[in-house]
Amino acid sequence: MASLVTCPHCGPRPKEEFTVKGAALPRPDPDASPEAWVDFVYLRDNPRGAYREYWHHTSGCRRWLVIKRDTATHEIYTTSDAAGHRGEVTP
Amino acid sequence: MSAYRVTQHAALADRKPVVRTGVSLEALAEGTVLHLLARPNTALPEIIGDAALSGLLLRSVSVGQWFAVGRVALRYEDLDAIQQKLKPVADVVDQSHGRVGILVRGPHATHVLAKGTAIDLADATFPVGQSSTALIGHIAAHITRTEQDAFELLVLRGFAESLWDDLVRMSLEFS
Repeated sequence: MASLVTCPHCGPRPKEEFTVKGAALPRPDPDASPEAWVDFVYLRDNPRGAYREYWHHTSGCRRWLVIKRDTATHEIYTTSDAAGHRGEVTP
Repeated sequence: MSAYRVTQHAALADRKPVVRTGVSLEALAEGTVLHLLARPNTALPEIIGDAALSGLLLRSVSVGQWFAVGRVALRYEDLDAIQQKLKPVADVVDQSHGRVGILVRGPHATHVLAKGTAIDLADATFPVGQSSTALIGHIAAHITRTEQDAFELLVLRGFAESLWDDLVRMSLEFS
């Protein structure tokens, strides 16, 4: 995992300041099928390569972020405040 | 009425100031710390413009969040007035007893703090008046550069003694 994460509000910070929530997935409609919800809540891919996750800057600005990173090379492509992704449906 | 009385106890009352060569530690008397929480797009002038904050200084905490800090404890009426004035812009949470101030002062203050935090404390990137929340060791603290050689740390009360003892060890090389 990358050691330095550039928070859009605080700048580069060590990963110890963050909490990883997990994959940032498109949320199903409220009336979607139980299968779709089970998939959204419990089932996760474990990709090698590009990944998009929710991270929380727990020991800093305490904002939720969306971080695109590479699980193989540990490179971080982009970091942004999760508020800007509100209502997003495409992963 | 309970047989057990509530007692007042300053968080770092038993920690004497530490003076070393080029750096000193001092526990600040409990004054006023108000946590202001506004919408993420609220700008600083909006906060200041709406309220005369009774001599309190505003320090940025996060997006749309500030600490209003003062050296003296405000009376309830003054706190209430501030809350009423800020009502349209921000919610106010009194943290005066929840967060404790520690002053790290001296030309070696940046050296001491650099042992525990990842923030770049160089003059250019962290000038006087700048503040930020970050880990110092394993404890999250709010760091403000109040003067060229002085940093004020605001830490949650329950972590204050632990952070103080960490700072004492971090400054040992200058004793």
